[in-house]
Amino acid sequence: MSADQDRGGAAIRAEDFIDGFRRPATQGNRVRDMNPISVFLVLGSLAVIAVAVPGIVAPSTVCVVLVLISLAGGVGRSFIGNFSRLFVAIGLLLFVLRSAFAGGTPVLFTIGAITVSMEGVLEGLRFALVVMAISGTVTLYFALIPIKYSMLALELKGVTPRATYVLLAAFQAITDLGKNARVIMDAQKARGIETEGNFVQRVRAFVPVLAPVFLSAIAATEEKAIALDARAFNSRVNHSHLVTLRPTPAWEVVFVAIAILCAVVACAGAVVPWY
Amino acid sequence: MVLVSLHDVRFTYAFTERPALDGVTLELEPGLLHGVVGMNASGKSTLCALIRGVVPHFHEGTLEGDVQVLGRDLSDWDPADLSQTIGCVFDNPFTQISGIKDTVFEEIAIGLENLGVPREAMIQRVKEVVERLGLQALIRKNPNELSGGQRQKVAFASIIAMDTDFIVIDEPTSQLDPEASEEIFGVIDQLRRHGKSVVLVEHKIDLLARYADSIVVMKEGRVVMHGPTRDVLTSDALLDANVPPPEVTALARDLADAGKELPFMPITRSEAYQAISRRMEGRPRGHHTA
Repeated sequence: MSADQDRGGAAIRAEDFIDGFRRPATQGNRVRDMNPISVFLVLGSLAVIAVAVPGIVAPSTVCVVLVLISLAGGVGRSFIGNFSRLFVAIGLLLFVLRSAFAGGTPVLFTIGAITVSMEGVLEGLRFALVVMAISGTVTLYFALIPIKYSMLALELKGVTPRATYVLLAAFQAITDLGKNARVIMDAQKARGIETEGNFVQRVRAFVPVLAPVFLSAIAATEEKAIALDARAFNSRVNHSHLVTLRPTPAWEVVFVAIAILCAVVACAGAVVPWY
Repeated sequence: MVLVSLHDVRFTYAFTERPALDGVTLELEPGLLHGVVGMNASGKSTLCALIRGVVPHFHEGTLEGDVQVLGRDLSDWDPADLSQTIGCVFDNPFTQISGIKDTVFEEIAIGLENLGVPREAMIQRVKEVVERLGLQALIRKNPNELSGGQRQKVAFASIIAMDTDFIVIDEPTSQLDPEASEEIFGVIDQLRRHGKSVVLVEHKIDLLARYADSIVVMKEGRVVMHGPTRDVLTSDALLDANVPPPEVTALARDLADAGKELPFMPITRSEAYQAISRRMEGRPRGHHTA
């Protein structure tokens, strides 16, 4: 391919990229292209159902539904991986602790002061599953929807750009702080300070880094605020948006309405037992 | 209408004793490119911040004297109006990126979004700026992952896109290589040709010599000289402020000190070529000394 053809191809690709801003943003998947607020409401309804409906069937079902949604949304691999780790690290711990100290009958076995009963096991299982369902909905939401689209949806619903900026910048700050910490650690390493080794050595190397990392972040915040002001961030005109979300289709509205209705019924059932 | 008028201005940052600006009196005309030079900590950035209203609106301190921007007293300006009227590029590229946009294209558009510019107009304006600054290769990249020089260009582009009539620029080429610096100055020159007013802090004096209409020389918070570029760059006041003159001016001075004065004092390479050629014309062929 000649250099001219190469440049021509790059120009066409750039034009396609720019042209993309003229159309609603898409992630190339029907689930992920749902309005972020719709996704939030559907997942939130699932979490409410897991909490409101007694027993272990509802939270278990919700966990399975979350996995199915993740597969439909094309984020199955990463979500299932993260969700499994949550189950092992947190779910199992919660189950064991709750089962061990919940008391109840019939007693299954006793180890020293700990008495494990069937009631305790069921309560521990439910507690762990409910927590997993709630944390799963949060994890899945962030796997499906980029935070910038969430904030854009909120802005389009009337939330101030200042509020959405604070949230977006807070997420970015986590990344930036990590990067700065790594840079300082590398600089320490270059000066011959031991930053690797066992856990204690790493902690000893890391703690002194925290002060400069946070101080530089605080100093940069003021400069960033001024730089934003230079870009008319505080202007009183209504902000426009380069990126837009697609209009919410009727099926999505119906889908969200059904999810909310199910959550309402589940809550009503918790108050007025229907099972 | 005068662009900026300062009369006996003194500004001291909060919690400091020494004023950053001390007795500054200055008038800048609109439609020109005004360069500001001086050593580090001479007050250049504070002067820019004052003109832009960043002091005392953001950075607190004690401001004395009279400051008029575009015919209005600085204290009468609403900071939000100032940000829509005066574009401003700061010197630290690492704090110029918003941190909330995924691509350079979106980052450049952020000012236009804040001004409520409709989407199609926004796209057109960003495209134009991208082409002018040669940023095509960067538009898809994450601005948070750019180098210092690339960030500096993107920050500059985002202010240019806002298309204000008055732009204050603080060391826009501090992280750029000579070629990229030339490009930036080319764009600044275009702005001036389109009638924009520019106040530019810059250490690259050779570039200022080529493009600036007037130069302000600062030392220890004071304006020690302000005038047409040629007058300033050939004056002793520049040397007194420890600001090195353009390399060709320094050469001409050295030649003059050696008793081999050029017919006129050049401030740019093309002028130096003319001056040396003119002097050579008066010499016999094969004579290599100037």
